[in-house]
Amino acid sequence: MLLQILVNGILMGGLYALMAIGMSLIWGVMNIINIAHGSFIMLGAFTTYWLFAILGMDPFVSLAFSIALLFALGYGVQRYLINYVIRASAFITLILAFGIEIFINNAALVSWTADIRKVQVAYGAANFSLGNYVTIPTIRVVAFLLVIVISIAFFYILNRTNLGRSIRATSQDLDAARLVGVDVAKTYAITFGLGVGAAGAAGTLWSILFPISPIMGGELTLKSFVVVIIGGLGSMLGPIIGGLALGITEAFGTNWFGSTYGNLISFTILVLVLIIRPKGILGGAD
Amino acid sequence: MLLDIKELNVGYGDIQVLWDINLQVKEGQVVALVGANGAGKSTLLKTISGLLKPYNGSIIFQGEDITSMPSKEIVAKGIIQVPEGRRLFPGMTVEENLMMGAFRRKESKNIKPELAKVYKIFPRLKERRQQKTGSLSGGEQQMCAFARGLMGNPKLIIIDEMSLGLAPLIVDDLIDNVKEINRQGTSVLLVEQDVQLALDNSHYGYVLSTGKVQMQGNSLELLRNQEIKEIYLGL
Repeated sequence: MLLQILVNGILMGGLYALMAIGMSLIWGVMNIINIAHGSFIMLGAFTTYWLFAILGMDPFVSLAFSIALLFALGYGVQRYLINYVIRASAFITLILAFGIEIFINNAALVSWTADIRKVQVAYGAANFSLGNYVTIPTIRVVAFLLVIVISIAFFYILNRTNLGRSIRATSQDLDAARLVGVDVAKTYAITFGLGVGAAGAAGTLWSILFPISPIMGGELTLKSFVVVIIGGLGSMLGPIIGGLALGITEAFGTNWFGSTYGNLISFTILVLVLIIRPKGILGGAD
Repeated sequence: MLLDIKELNVGYGDIQVLWDINLQVKEGQVVALVGANGAGKSTLLKTISGLLKPYNGSIIFQGEDITSMPSKEIVAKGIIQVPEGRRLFPGMTVEENLMMGAFRRKESKNIKPELAKVYKIFPRLKERRQQKTGSLSGGEQQMCAFARGLMGNPKLIIIDEMSLGLAPLIVDDLIDNVKEINRQGTSVLLVEQDVQLALDNSHYGYVLSTGKVQMQGNSLELLRNQEIKEIYLGL
């Protein structure tokens, strides 16, 4: 029983980690708290939903479209909107992101109505057992493996490529990056694109596992925010540690106290982390 | 003429910092720019590197007006700055920092020979190439910043406050490196608070004070100048 809860928590934690990777990247590099992050996750989810509903495209195939579309959207939003206030205080970019969130949510509501929808794939109910005690839905395991693959791709881009080095350089010392010739505006746009692209991937996986609706974004932003804070900024491992921590405590918490307390548990952890380790579990490391 | 700055006026918003600056660096020269803290040296460097737009005036590099170019293009033209306080990327290793130095170069796909060249000048950096730069000593950090600048293949390297906070022996070593780089054909703009050091090791000098060029001339003559002796050298 405990093992089953633990496994559920880890699988959920993987998805939380993927949700938070993009938010953490954008926050760490540009000092923007992207309040619209959950809305981008919602757009990723609906990309997959419509490709499935209209074209019958398998969600694991539409994952690629979701990432590409959201990358392009993120790139554009940064380049032609946020870029104009990037030098202003964090408060201004926060307000702008808030505005973007309201816009996306309402545009989605008007276009698609507030109906709750589900991507009903034929293999959705498949599962397998480990021993006699643990039953695991196959689709969650596949989603978890994808989370790992996408995270490794992120690690690779950031640590082993010229693009990744320019992103890290920009976040570590803005003026020094400009003095070696980094095109900061472009780097910011690509970083925002990568972060929003990761949100798109998270949205696709979310749509396979749970029902979706145009107003799902707010709660996902909060969850991502909690994960980023728990894990700590400035490290790619932060969101992964934070995601697993949140997933596991939530799984045990809802089991003991009931699922109505899910959010209460998340935010209790948030407050505890802020009191005990304000920089997050991995804060300050890199 | 490699670098030709004409009638440059610069400031932050309404507060003017530099007034009618004229400054030239000839091909193959080491030029010293000296002056006290707050004289406007850093502002001038920011303007040359494109981080700050001047009110008016022009900056000509190799006959081309670079006054309002973005910094990435100025770097690509071959004006590279080694900033005050080193400004290394603290989360990166020595080698990654050096690779960032070559970021703007078209042939940056193959920077192995460049790395080897720079490691030959600074063997200490080769020993420490996998270390994060935060764990280096001050002198090693300055070497790393200098080496990162060289990785950009500069025609003109601008070195800002190289000697700050370093032991005299280490400064001597670094000055030898500067002279060696200059012998190999790179022009140098040496920006220093240490007037003696800068004028001892340059061909030509400019003295900046309260945002204006107060004096200029051959470095040796400036060293003998009574006013400079009294104000800057305390003799």
